[in-house]
Amino acid sequence: MSTTGTSTRSSPAAGLAGAGSRRPLPGLLLALAVAGIGIGLVGLGTGLSAGDARPVISWLLGFSFWTSILLGSLFFVMIFNLFDAGWSVLVRRQLEHLLAGFKWIAILFLPLLLIAWFYRDPGILWKWLNPEHILPNGYTVATDALYQAKEPYLNKTAFTLRSLLYFGVFLFFANALRRNSFGLDEDGDRSRVQRQKVLSGAGVFACGLALTFAAIDWFMSIEFHWFSTMYGVWFFAASMRAALAFLLILLFFQADRGVLQGLHRPSHNYQLGCIALAFTVFWAYISFSQYFLIYQANIPEETFWYNIRHMNADGTTNSWWWVGLTLIFCNFLLPFLFLLFYKTKVRIPLILFVAAWILTFHVVDLYFNILPSKSAPADNVLNYKVRQFTINFWDVAVFVGIGALVLWAYLTSLREKGAIPRRDPRIREALEHHE
Amino acid sequence: MSAARPQDGVFGIAATFWTAPDIYHACEKVRDAGYRRWDSYCPFPVHGLHHAMGLKRSRVPFFTFIGGMLGFLTGLTIVWYMNMDYPLVVGGKPYFSPVFPFPIFYELTILLAAFGTLGGMFITNRLPRHNHPLFDYQPFLQTSDDRFMIVIESSDPAFDPDRVRALLEEAGGEEITVVAPGAQAA
Repeated sequence: MSTTGTSTRSSPAAGLAGAGSRRPLPGLLLALAVAGIGIGLVGLGTGLSAGDARPVISWLLGFSFWTSILLGSLFFVMIFNLFDAGWSVLVRRQLEHLLAGFKWIAILFLPLLLIAWFYRDPGILWKWLNPEHILPNGYTVATDALYQAKEPYLNKTAFTLRSLLYFGVFLFFANALRRNSFGLDEDGDRSRVQRQKVLSGAGVFACGLALTFAAIDWFMSIEFHWFSTMYGVWFFAASMRAALAFLLILLFFQADRGVLQGLHRPSHNYQLGCIALAFTVFWAYISFSQYFLIYQANIPEETFWYNIRHMNADGTTNSWWWVGLTLIFCNFLLPFLFLLFYKTKVRIPLILFVAAWILTFHVVDLYFNILPSKSAPADNVLNYKVRQFTINFWDVAVFVGIGALVLWAYLTSLREKGAIPRRDPRIREALEHHE
Repeated sequence: MSAARPQDGVFGIAATFWTAPDIYHACEKVRDAGYRRWDSYCPFPVHGLHHAMGLKRSRVPFFTFIGGMLGFLTGLTIVWYMNMDYPLVVGGKPYFSPVFPFPIFYELTILLAAFGTLGGMFITNRLPRHNHPLFDYQPFLQTSDDRFMIVIESSDPAFDPDRVRALLEEAGGEEITVVAPGAQAA
């Protein structure tokens, strides 16, 4: 038993679903991905034929969840490179493998662009894409004063080009950082370490801007009357938390039965737990600040976004009120109090629990920020209905399908390249890390 | 709580070590012998020494938490009381709500949590104090340079000079000395 364990450890390509694994995990994941995405596409088809926007949003929600995890991973890779902390070298490699899924995520965005260009109601998801779309105020999008003012930014061509540009930026930095890091394993060229830092320094700015505008385009513009300068930062904070939680779960499996047995230790978890605490506070700070500023300023163009997340047009409390309260307590207060304790960060079951918890409520957070929307007409004086909180079969299929695809890409990359950056100048420091 | 027994003026017994591994293993022996009032002194941080010494987690976070909660409740009370005592409508906001005055709750939480941390550090370290009996023992001053030292204090309930000396000798300590500033002064 011990000899197999040692050989698993010494060979960088072995381990969880690696060459030494008996279970055909990658194949299983690929099958799951095809099934999930296939069902999601059927959902898209039924939605489009019935003119129902909900299955289209299922696609966007699943896309947003995995995009947020990959974007968070990208930022963590760049930040670990920039800060040059010894302990982070080992976990950085896991994130680099995870970034292999980015190209698939980019391809999975294409259906939404195709709908915008070729479907009979291009505004089924982003209503401003259809000039004929009738708003609750009785105007069409084309005659709406607010849309007219935003038209130079919010138009189909610019939107498409920007979306392609965002993925161009993300993919460029993800691939360049991956190539450089794997290249260091091959040739041990020290100048690559410096190149990583230069790339990361530029990438933090470029990807920061791309992420902010992507969040504005893809999620904020669903309710295009509304605007918030905090929104991009909210998506950044949520992405970082999600990536961290996902990384902790991934590391658990790799340390328990995969390629990092005996290498990834509680002292690494402690560092990641501290960052998780910091980003929990940061998420709350950003989310609350957005609410707080809009509440204080009390401008109808801004407050309606929170109003529809509180009540229906007739003033009755709706489902989003409960979701909002859930976010305050379950996405901030409980993980915050939980992560304050030292033991939570070093005891494996506890950190695993809080990571799964954060990831779960990150999904709820995405629902809260993306799903609610006004739809017209309605039989009340304000002429709108609010899309309520629901989880349907298409949501689950898309979440699972894209997730399986991302994990498949991760495992394929892990099998192909090493799990340990063995020529990184700080790898010894990472392996010998103490709190 | 006095550091030394008044009858003999002995603060404790000090033993010198010359390397980090030496003091690390000596600490394990002293820990296993069950002493509680003792400390180790090193010129630089030694990783894992707190495990070797059997130290528990610091109690400072408890003070931080109490300070933070007090701050939050103080903020809550200030806003609630002032709006009850002298109601003013500002910006169409309610007299009391957890939203508009949140920065006040938040700032006071941070402020009093910081005070709690500082105070907690002073209390758990028994600070401030103006002098320490070990300062009169010349070799001790070199623990900030090149030597390591373990001092078992006479205030330990299990303190017995002969046994302590034997333990420190067995642990590999050198220059085992009874530190008694009172006796030196007399």
